[in-house]
Amino acid sequence: MRFLPAAVERLQSLGRYVLLSYRWPGEPPQPGQFVMARPAGWGLSMDPFLARPFSVYDYEEGVASLLFEVRGRGTALLARASEEIEVSPPLGRGFSVCREGPAALLGGGVGVAPLRLLSRRLRESGVEHEVFLGFADAGLAAAAEGFPEPVVATMDGSFGVRGTVLDAAGDLRRYRAVYACGPNPMLAAVGLAAGPEAQLSVEERMGCGNGSCNGCVVPTRKGYLRSCVEGPVFEAGELAW
Amino acid sequence: MVAPELSVELCGVRLATPLIPASGTLAPEALGEAAGVYGAVLPKTVTLRPRQGNPPPRVAESPAGMVNSIGLQNPGVEEFLRALGAWEVGVPVFVSVAGETVEEFALLCGRVAADGRAAAIELNLSCPNVERGGQVFCAGPSAVEEVVAACRRAAPDVPLLAKLALEGVVQNALAAEAAGADGLTVMNTVPALAVDARARRVLLRGGLSGPAIKPLALRAVYDVASAAEIPVVGCGGVCSGADVAEFMLAGARAVQVGSAGFVRDPAEILAEFERYLREEGLAASELAGALLPAQGARPVPSER
Repeated sequence: MRFLPAAVERLQSLGRYVLLSYRWPGEPPQPGQFVMARPAGWGLSMDPFLARPFSVYDYEEGVASLLFEVRGRGTALLARASEEIEVSPPLGRGFSVCREGPAALLGGGVGVAPLRLLSRRLRESGVEHEVFLGFADAGLAAAAEGFPEPVVATMDGSFGVRGTVLDAAGDLRRYRAVYACGPNPMLAAVGLAAGPEAQLSVEERMGCGNGSCNGCVVPTRKGYLRSCVEGPVFEAGELAW
Repeated sequence: MVAPELSVELCGVRLATPLIPASGTLAPEALGEAAGVYGAVLPKTVTLRPRQGNPPPRVAESPAGMVNSIGLQNPGVEEFLRALGAWEVGVPVFVSVAGETVEEFALLCGRVAADGRAAAIELNLSCPNVERGGQVFCAGPSAVEEVVAACRRAAPDVPLLAKLALEGVVQNALAAEAAGADGLTVMNTVPALAVDARARRVLLRGGLSGPAIKPLALRAVYDVASAAEIPVVGCGGVCSGADVAEFMLAGARAVQVGSAGFVRDPAEILAEFERYLREEGLAASELAGALLPAQGARPVPSER
């Protein structure tokens, strides 16, 4: 896998999440695509060994951004990367951007990330859409800041509507297109509520990011498929959870 | 300045560089990135019938390495051979096979040999042997000898590389050699476990790869190359050009790059190796085994 150095534009906290922006002069990422990222200077220690996959949160005029939660050493080091990081080009099969609305975008936790760029593209094309974001509590709901007029739900009711993102969204059959990213149980529920054409971006543990290790598979009707190449976006009807 | 000579000869096959991807670590989608880097390509291990592989999670991070448990996911030998054209990129194609019985290994070797496109066959002997209670084929010399001899009969004209695990590697290498193997791939991943303490469960039971295992692999290569006559292909934690040189000096004729390909551009590894050769004024083939003890002064295999 080829990694490229990228200058960090901005590193900021969004509640308990980190938003990291970096200059990306290469091919623009499509909504739902991801990148593998790691701190600069990785080659000196090669530790942590694997880079981390992140959905692209936003991209505008050569600046891409990633939204993440510090969970382990890899994310802790990236959360301190103030000057430079190493990133892969945009990878994977992203969302297919619809031309006609209304569309519903549902994000759970850090899974809100890829919806930001999708919402931007839909807005640019004049496609009517609504954004529903679900979080555990108000400390995480700060990640909703980047979205224009989102409906926010928290499980503990400390911010927005009390309940899940599905509670907040209501009947998903009203929408021509449904997009979702979040934990697998949430995605399974969205698939059931919205039908087989809902576009779901899965989160899996990943090794390489380019299809080589077969580590990040998800069960589908065609057997295990790699979320890094055949995904991370799958139609609900493809998945066999 | 003349570019250093990178080519090596392995079991009668001329390799333009000594680098080979370790089985299961290079997808056809990533072949473009690897153009000009590898002396041979080696797709993921194929079995007689399709295998869906293990349920996720399949990978876990560990210090200076990773643990994987993929479970030999592959489409089976017939579909594999139909799609093999994607791997024909102007360098020899090595095919890695694994069976659950000696007969399956032999059938696979016969089928791949009859297809005619494989420049060599690598026997993945870390596959469980259902006829011996699920022990891996390379659990002991008698099983190694039996399976290699059967593959030799099934594919008399294709070079056979026996890929061995660390445990008992020297005895198993000698058994493979006696049974007619043309070369030895040393070594496979090291048995490992990843635990999720929060969820209080085993995350996965698999094999460790990456720089964490490099010294173990170097020692295994050195010991095997000291004891066996047939060429050794080094494998285990190779991440840099210096690593390639170390493995060749320790007795490897060629070197496999595995999980390093997930985190580095393999072209950088080759460029580093080329720079090393240029600075040292050496050709790749001159390195092989330079550090091995002289004949007659070889360590006994059981020595620690």
